[in-house]
Amino acid sequence: MIRLLLERLAGAVPVLLLVSVVSFGLMRLIPGDPSASIAGLSATPQMVAQIREQLGLDQPLLTQAAHWYGGLLRGDLGRSILLGQSVFWATVERLPVTIALSLYALVVTLVVGIGAGVLAALRQNSWVDQAAMMVAMLGISVPNFFLGLLFIIWFAVGLGWLPTGGYVPFTEDPWGWFRTSTMPAVSLALLNVGLLARVTRSTMLEVLRQDYVRTARAKGLPGYKVVGKHALANAMIPITTVVGIIVSLLVSGSVVTETLFSIPGIGQLLTSAVLGRDYPMVQGGLLLVTALLVLVNLGVDMLYAVLDPRIRYGR
Amino acid sequence: MWRATLRRLLRHRLFVTGLALFLVVLALAAFAPWLTTADPTKLGIRTKFRPPSAEFVFGTDNLGRSLWSRAVWGARLSVEIGVAVVVLNAVFGTLVGALSGYFRRLDGPLMRFNDALMAFPAILLAIGITAVLGPSTENVILALAVVYVPRTARIVRASVLVLRETEYVQAAVAAGASHWRILRTHVLPNALAPLIVQLSFLFAYAVLTEATLSFLGLGAVPPTPTWGNIMAEGRQYMREAPWIITIPGLLLMMTVMGLNLLGDGLRDVLDPRLRLQP
Amino acid sequence: MRAAILAAILMAGTTLAARPVAAEPFKCPRTGGNFVFGQEANVNSLDQMTSNTISTRNIAMNVFEALTTRDENNNPILDLADTLTEAPDRMSYTFTLRPGVKFHNGKPMTSADVVASWDRYSKVGLDRQLLDPVASWEATDPGTFVVKMKAPSPTFVEKLSSFSIPMVIVPSEAKDDPPQQLRTIGTGPWQLDQSVPGSFVRLKRYDGYTPNTKFEQRTGFGGYKQACFDTVTFRIVTEGGARVAGLETGELNAVEDVPTKSVERLKANKDVKLLPLLNWWIQIAVANASQAPTDDVRMRQAIQSVLDMDEIMDAATDGNYRLNYGFAYPNQPDYVTTGEKTYNQKDPAKAKRLLAEAGYKGQPLVLLTNKDYASMYNAALVAQEQLKSVGVATELKVVDWPTSVQMSLKADAGWNLFFSGWGTQPALGALATMAFLAPPAAMYMPKDNKDDPDVLAAWREMNTGVTKEIRKAAFGRMQGALLEKAYVFPFGSLTKVQASRANVQGWVPFRIPRMSNVWFAN
Repeated sequence: MIRLLLERLAGAVPVLLLVSVVSFGLMRLIPGDPSASIAGLSATPQMVAQIREQLGLDQPLLTQAAHWYGGLLRGDLGRSILLGQSVFWATVERLPVTIALSLYALVVTLVVGIGAGVLAALRQNSWVDQAAMMVAMLGISVPNFFLGLLFIIWFAVGLGWLPTGGYVPFTEDPWGWFRTSTMPAVSLALLNVGLLARVTRSTMLEVLRQDYVRTARAKGLPGYKVVGKHALANAMIPITTVVGIIVSLLVSGSVVTETLFSIPGIGQLLTSAVLGRDYPMVQGGLLLVTALLVLVNLGVDMLYAVLDPRIRYGR
Repeated sequence: MWRATLRRLLRHRLFVTGLALFLVVLALAAFAPWLTTADPTKLGIRTKFRPPSAEFVFGTDNLGRSLWSRAVWGARLSVEIGVAVVVLNAVFGTLVGALSGYFRRLDGPLMRFNDALMAFPAILLAIGITAVLGPSTENVILALAVVYVPRTARIVRASVLVLRETEYVQAAVAAGASHWRILRTHVLPNALAPLIVQLSFLFAYAVLTEATLSFLGLGAVPPTPTWGNIMAEGRQYMREAPWIITIPGLLLMMTVMGLNLLGDGLRDVLDPRLRLQP
Repeated sequence: MRAAILAAILMAGTTLAARPVAAEPFKCPRTGGNFVFGQEANVNSLDQMTSNTISTRNIAMNVFEALTTRDENNNPILDLADTLTEAPDRMSYTFTLRPGVKFHNGKPMTSADVVASWDRYSKVGLDRQLLDPVASWEATDPGTFVVKMKAPSPTFVEKLSSFSIPMVIVPSEAKDDPPQQLRTIGTGPWQLDQSVPGSFVRLKRYDGYTPNTKFEQRTGFGGYKQACFDTVTFRIVTEGGARVAGLETGELNAVEDVPTKSVERLKANKDVKLLPLLNWWIQIAVANASQAPTDDVRMRQAIQSVLDMDEIMDAATDGNYRLNYGFAYPNQPDYVTTGEKTYNQKDPAKAKRLLAEAGYKGQPLVLLTNKDYASMYNAALVAQEQLKSVGVATELKVVDWPTSVQMSLKADAGWNLFFSGWGTQPALGALATMAFLAPPAAMYMPKDNKDDPDVLAAWREMNTGVTKEIRKAAFGRMQGALLEKAYVFPFGSLTKVQASRANVQGWVPFRIPRMSNVWFAN
């Protein structure tokens, strides 16, 4: 197990190297550069040229690349052009925000998604099944930005229950955090709830028909034990895969949701960095976030091995 | 055999509902030039913000353009993008997933590359690719394929990993069957159910992600109408002229829902393991 | 008589000081509270010397101050300077500093800080060209700062007092702060409390602030300023609908940029005050004179003669606009009427005639616009439609804002008309605006890099003309030449709407929100 872990960690290094090359190249290939964003709406061409010079953007690409990788080797990710803050701290400061929001959304997803999926599978073809699946389908059909805007209008403007946006850290004011995070988390979760409920249901249906479940039933084990111990445990494998996907989906979803609700998280940071051509921020930020997601995927793989003894990895 | 399957499908209520919804959208897409009289990009200086009426079935937008025309032409684009992304995924996702799950030697490198692509948050990678290539329909399709193929591959691989260890595959190996034959006859057909479910979701993702890209101003080139960019342009008027954003939103939901019902129906009927049940 | 502008400055300084202390200076009717302002764009940096964005100015102009600034009517006034004396030969300017001014770190401001600030600006300041006519600057004593000129420059003080990228005064230890990384320590009534990039910036009242007693009231960015709120939070709310919603629920006390469609609804809301800001920017398109077919003056004039500005402005602004030709607004002292006949002609027959004269054979005309600013995008769509109606083959090139700026800087990047909006410069005056169309990088891309001789001659005189009248006449000639040769197409002026809750008092709409002398009524 530990050997497997180490092997996979070593395997992550080339992945990250690839990511750094891709994001460096990708950003330089995009037309436009950060000088236009700094210079503002009505800058003279001269000012734009001055800013380019100041940022070293007039240097050859190889010099810029050498500069970036040189910094990377010293553990220096550089400074964000648009935030005037070190890339490392800009990312680290925003990580907890996105993690807290994603965890909130993940909890909603897991509870509602697995719950609805299992329930629907157990009562296949009943009205419970059909209602749950209809809701799941609605969930995966509504764009989350559309839902977010509808939420703002219904719950913030119409009913006045929740604030329209903004963010309060959990550590400062848990209740305030809950109030500001609920609409974004729910609009973020809905798609994933639909996704998870459907996968859970179809997997459960398959598992419930497997021989060992029927055997367990035939042996007269009580229903909750059959479902809990045998069926659900085996259904966890595909579900785990989906949860792994959901984690990256949450990070992706946060891109739009954070912008919509003015939440200072990673998604907003990286989107505005890409759109504003903040080269160091995109390169360094993506590298850090990617490293994190690689770790999550690694965790999912390790979970497989634990959950399903039939999988013998890596030997 | 095929006739029996078809009959069973047509008796499946949800499948038929889904098929009907999807056919409506397909019809809109296919017959767009005949269904609309107004050019979807034709401005109407004197017909701004008209709510749905007899003259404008779906109303008009902030520039007085007919939303019926825009929505119908948008359907064509959404369907094009969805179909292209699904086909690319079916081909490349299955290929990568099956190879990776079945051949241990390939698993490492393929999954590392997969991980690298999946490691980028989907929408950021899509934004990056469309930003580099420049916004166009083809580039959006390419970006969505690059983003989603690794995810499909992962699902296929997960099923193949389990199937590889089953008795009947082991037996086939013992009997000396070729890898290709085993993959084709034992592994892939049994991995089809989760793939179909995944692909039914994927159409939704493709259309939704396209909408998101447009929402962020990076979809197909305006003023070409797509549901995504109609909503993006209408969002600032969503309280005063809610129909601008609601109509493409509802069409979008209809399309996705239709496809999911369709996929569910197919799965219920085609999955051999479920068919064994009484 | 020397320089009219200077007279205005010195008047502000001397007359007010001479006035008896009868008029009471402004006193906050109520203090306290946290004022939350909904701001539309992220703040890239609070370094007022190296950033030219509105979002920076919104915040930083409440924190930093400069020797000179502009008053409510855009006239130059003194702010951190107590007096300003121009030498008779106009070869030097002597500033004395307002006594008792302290930085937010408690350190008293001296001329050493002014020298250090000017040193930094001359190295990294975005508008450092304004120091080109300056030979040197020095502190002659702790309260006196002297600027020596290379040659007389009649427009120097006008440029110096610009609020676009002002030469703000910072403590001398900030002298070597790299660009974009200036420590946020100024002399203003507000000091930085907390900044969470992407979310909010909070300022708090600076209790050590020394108001400018030469005035009784706030005016422009200067005057007698008092911080009435305890804190001011600039919350970033990019979505227009969300800003309006926040204002309606009272979470936001004031917002900028209310979408036009929401204005009607807000009018009916008794808890909200609407504050329209006329002439927010000139909606505009610039021609590329180096690229066929717009390298032909008749082609450009054909474009000019077909445009219907009402249609364009209506689509661009959803109806919140005023027709306005040229590069200044009627309420400004610079306003001139040259080139009026070129505006809003709506004459397709003339356009067709000019196209025929130019030998136009259906070469595509590329309209470069962006999706980030809906008004520019919509203006391009309508212009395209109008051009099509006289048989011009058009092609819309829609990119994002940074890309369109980069393309617009290159004559050979494949564009003919670049759609933009000019806000800050027209507000600052003709001199600032015309810099867009003058060497070294005129935006209309003069053929073979040779500026149009008429435009160039007028520009030179705008800078060196000894009296205000001479300079204004030169501006008139420059505007006339630019419009008659159709290098630029100003469409009209866009109105932006700010709004506040009804209990916000003392708020006067201004390009940049001023947080001083604003308070909450009960």
